Order: sequence, then structure tokens, then C-alpha cells
Amino acid sequence: MAGFVPSGRHYILLLLLLSGFGMVLFRLVTLQVWQAAELSVKADRQHRKTVSLEGARGTILDRHGKVLAMNVEVPSAFGVPTTLDSPTKTARVLAPVLQVRSDELERKLRQARSFVWLARKLDPEQGRRLERLSLDGVGVVMEGRRFYPKGPFLSHVLGFAGMDGEGLEGVEHRYESYLRGEKRMMVLQRDALGRSVFPTDLTERNPTPGHNLTLTIDEVIQYITERELEDAVTRTQAKSGTMIVLEPQTGAVLAMAVSPRFDPNVVSNLSPDRWRNKALADAYEPGSTLKAVVAAAAIEEHVVRPNTMVFGEHGRMTIANTVIHDHEKLGWVSFSQVIQKSSNIGAAKTGMALGEQRLHRYLQTFGFGQKTEIDLPGEGAGLVKRPKDWGRRSVASISMGQEIGVTPLQMVSAIAALANEGVLMKPYVVSEIRGPEGHLLKRVSPQVRRRVVSPETAHTVTKILEGVVTDGTGGKAAIPGFRVAGKTGTAQKIDPRTGSYSVSRFVTSFAGYVPADNPRLAMIVVIDEPQGDAWGGTVAAPVFSRVGEQVLNYLGVGSHEPVTLAMAR
Amino acid sequence: MKILAVLLGLCLVFVFVWERVDMVRVGYQIERLKRDKTTLERQRDELKVQFSTLSASGRIARVATKELGMSLPQQGQVILVQFRPGSMQPVAVADVSPVEVRVAKNDLLARRY
Repeated sequence: MAGFVPSGRHYILLLLLLSGFGMVLFRLVTLQVWQAAELSVKADRQHRKTVSLEGARGTILDRHGKVLAMNVEVPSAFGVPTTLDSPTKTARVLAPVLQVRSDELERKLRQARSFVWLARKLDPEQGRRLERLSLDGVGVVMEGRRFYPKGPFLSHVLGFAGMDGEGLEGVEHRYESYLRGEKRMMVLQRDALGRSVFPTDLTERNPTPGHNLTLTIDEVIQYITERELEDAVTRTQAKSGTMIVLEPQTGAVLAMAVSPRFDPNVVSNLSPDRWRNKALADAYEPGSTLKAVVAAAAIEEHVVRPNTMVFGEHGRMTIANTVIHDHEKLGWVSFSQVIQKSSNIGAAKTGMALGEQRLHRYLQTFGFGQKTEIDLPGEGAGLVKRPKDWGRRSVASISMGQEIGVTPLQMVSAIAALANEGVLMKPYVVSEIRGPEGHLLKRVSPQVRRRVVSPETAHTVTKILEGVVTDGTGGKAAIPGFRVAGKTGTAQKIDPRTGSYSVSRFVTSFAGYVPADNPRLAMIVVIDEPQGDAWGGTVAAPVFSRVGEQVLNYLGVGSHEPVTLAMAR
Repeated sequence: MKILAVLLGLCLVFVFVWERVDMVRVGYQIERLKRDKTTLERQRDELKVQFSTLSASGRIARVATKELGMSLPQQGQVILVQFRPGSMQPVAVADVSPVEVRVAKNDLLARRY
């Protein structure tokens, strides 16, 4: 290297090299020092994706583990309008797949936004067709959709969940905090192609799904109840119907049906009136079914005994300038016959003998005028006026089931208390809450509300109510081979135009329990405004009988009457 | 010594690079398996829904009555035969010859409608 003398070209080359390195160095300092913070944020934005993840909503099962409601991941289509060249063309291609009008899609795609929902919670097949189209500016994401696989089955109890997965009615709403899955944000790393590599923290777990609920409802009993109720409502051209089946010893609801039903999978076009659970929200005048409660109160207070003779006034009596009629002209009859023949005059006299204060106290004790506190939303308390607001005729009216509003659930709870040796239970529909992995979180135990009458009184009333079915107005509630106790009810509805009782609109009902000697089922049937022969004994009692027989067979409850089988070879 | 140190250094670099590359590879594998798991879970859930729909009592009753010509038993036609252990001698299946069972008492006749 000795003797090397750099020439002018060498200096130029050196200068160029130094300039080049200088520029690189300058750029390096610019990127790594001066713009470091800003660029690091940009890089993070490109490499990291923050997604909101929500655990699946919990499943709802019947008492035998049959699925009644569950979440399934389904595709939802979204658009990125800012990247679209021809919204009109895209909308035209999408319309038949999404089954949405193309002008509506085009309107969405023309918005100056970077994200719009085009159609949410589609069928899996629609999602697959959409992916096959692979349109620019249109994407598919998976979202949890609530499915009610049995359609309208148990709809008024289950309720439904909204588009964003929140419970809006029924069990779905009441147990929202348990059913809802955990919601959390998760950071994912993406490669140059935008694919997820793995979470920044590999130990990060997926959001926990919601808890699973087991109901006290039995799918088969509910099916029988719904089928028979629907049949009765259709046959009698009634406005609506309600039926509840309870386990008297626990208060567990085995079935709760309201007709007409609705499909919780498709609720967007329905009015709230369709999905309101009339079995616990709507109060009605119970009519003669309340006489069972009045009878229990009068016997408990030693006002009457089953064989106490009561004069039936030959079917006509005036109280506070109002004439009370009986459908059968009775003379002297026993108190048992007063209930069996459903005598209004006999019930009014019993109520008057009991007195305002005691009658009101027993109505409250049996749970009328207050919520049963069932674990379902929208429960009504009914209407029981305070004695100071009662008129001169009120004691007589209330004793025959007028001037009082009760819900079907209150009525069946009160009847179930008589079946349960005088102990009123709290009705409930959820028996277990389990975590997503199946571990037991909560088991609901039957809850005693209070004793309403003594076991002796309950037994005495049961015998009287058995007479209603064997010798009285409730003959059609009979179930071959079983002892049935119950009471019919036929209440006139108030005509909103005149403000007085209608002569053509009735609420017919039957409330009772079976087998009377060892009750397994307490049931109520309420049919609102049946047409034709509208009596509790002709409209509601047969439904009680048909449901009772099938459910007892299903439960394997044996008849008390031996049946002879002739076997021939 | 120097060569050994350089080789060791190179090895460390290779191990470091290999580890990073393998982490990315495993990351992709985990992602793929997760996707497979999600797909399978989705299929399982769809099948559960399908099972629940097909096993609904209403559907079974509809198929039984409309497609198979079956009908619901009328009142009194279902008789529950209760078996008390010890009250009957166990019978071998081969010993049982087909018998016609006739109901001597039919509650349908006594039904009050």
C-alpha cells in the first residue's frame, strides 16, 4: 500500500460513501430516536390486533338434561364501504345470499364508514355461500346466536335473548348474570398477511362461557300440558289459556303453559302481549275456585264443619240490595254440598260468618295480593283490597271469587298448600346452576313460605274437594282409578264498555290435585273467554283430567283401583 | 480457542434464530389447531341443536301419528302393571309363549263426559 496517493476520484468516492452512510445514519436516528414513539405505535397497530371476545351463553336444560336453549356460533356479514369500488354491484350480488333487499344493502354500503353490519346471525349455509363469493370489502365474522331447538315449546318460561345475546324475557332475563359468558379483550399478534400468530401472552385463557341452568320443568309433562291446553283453546275458540303443573311438596314447577305460544327464535315481529307470561303476570277473578280457600279458612277457624247445615235460600238471596243467584236451587244442604254444588249463597254466608278481618287474613296467608316470588320476571301481585276499602257486599263477593284479582300461579300455589297438608311452598323453575365444566354452583332447595292451615283442616278440605269431582260440578276432572280433589270456577268478566259483569264473556277454570290421598300433582287450568258451553266443569275440568291421567302414567304412579287382566293362551 | 469461541457464538446465534423460527411455527400450529377445535365445537353444537329438535316430544308425536299411523291411548286404556319384587317367580324368556292380553275392565265405558 506504500506509495498510494489518493487521487481526486478517490476523494469523490469517499465523499459519496460518507454521504451514503451519513444519510443512512440520519434516517436511522430519525426512525429510531426522533420518530421512535410514533412508529412504535404504528407497528403495534399493524402487528397486534385487539379483539373483543365473549364466552358462549349458558345452556338451559330440562330436569332430565334435555336441551331447551343453547348458543351456536353462526356467521354475520359486514362491509367495509370505504374500500368498495361499486356498492351497487356488490349489493346486487349479496342480496340473494343474505336475503336482504339490494337497495337496502346498497344504502348501507354507500355510508362513509369503515364498518357496517350487512346481516347478522345468518344460517351456517348462508355464511358458506358468502365465503365462496369472496367479495372485496365484504367479510364474515362468527357470532353466538341463541337457538331454541324446540321452537315455541316452553316459550313463555324460557323467554328469549336479544340480537346482542342479552336475556330479554323469562328465564333468559331473570338469570342473565349466570347465563352470560365472560366478556374480555384479547391481544393477538399478526403476521405480514394479517394472520393471527398467537396471543401475546400464551397463558392467556379464552373467555369463560356462561353457566348452565337446569329447570324443574319436565319436557314430557310440558309437552302434554301444552298439547292439551292448545287443543282446548282451539276447540272452544277461547281467547287464551293457561295451565300450571306443580309438585305440591316442593313447589317445583313441572309445566307452565300459555296458549297461544310464540317462537322465541323469531320474536322481532311480535307484540309484547304475545310473550307476556299470563300464568304469573295477569290477574283474573277466580270465581268459585276461591271457595276452596274460603272453606279451608272457615274450617280452620271452626266456623263450619263439613256436616254443618246451610240454607241455600232456594237459589236467590239479596245482600246489600244485590241479588245473588245459584245455578241450582238449594234448600238445606251440608257445608260439603255447598262447595260440591258451588253454591254462591252458601259461600257468601260462610264468608260473612268468618268476617272481614279473618277472611282478609286468610287470603293473605294463602298468598293472594302478594307475589309468590317465583324466579321468573314480570310477576303480578294480583289484587286484594284492604278491608277498609271493602263495600257492604264485598265479603259475600270475595267469598264467591269476585272483587279479587289472582294470578293462576297464586291460585295453584294456594291449592298446592292444601295438597301439602297445609304448607305453602315457594314455586320455582330453576333447580340447579352448573359451571361451564359441569361443576355444581348452586342447587335450589324447596322453600317453605308458611303454614296456612293445619294438616287436619287440609285433609278435611281434601275430602270436600274430592266430593266436587265425584258428586259435584267437577265430574269431568275425574281420572279413572285415581282420587281427584279440585274445584271448578266460572267467573264473569267485567265488560269494559258498561263497567259491569258481562253476560257472554267468562273465565273458566279448574284447580285441584291428584291423587288426593297422596298428591303428586297440583294443577290449574284457566281458559279465557271460551265460546259455547262456558263452564269450568265443562271446559277446564276435562283438560285437568286428560293431562292428569297422562302425566300420572308417565310418572309411573299406580292407580288405587286394582285392574283385572284376563290372559288367554 | 478463538475458533472455538467463534463457533460457539455462531451456534448460539443459530439456536436463538432457530428458537424464534420454531416459536412462530408452533404459534401457527396452535392457531390451526385452535381453528380446528372451534370448527369441531361448532359442528358439535349444531348437532346438539339438531338432536334436540329431532327428539322433541312434539315432533315424535307428529311422526308417530301422521307417518306411522299410531294414535294416543284413550282414557283408561293405559294400565300400569306394578311389579313387586318377590311376588312373582322370575321366568326365563324362552319359557314365555305369546299371550293375548285382554283388558277385562275398560274405564272408557265408565267415563263421564
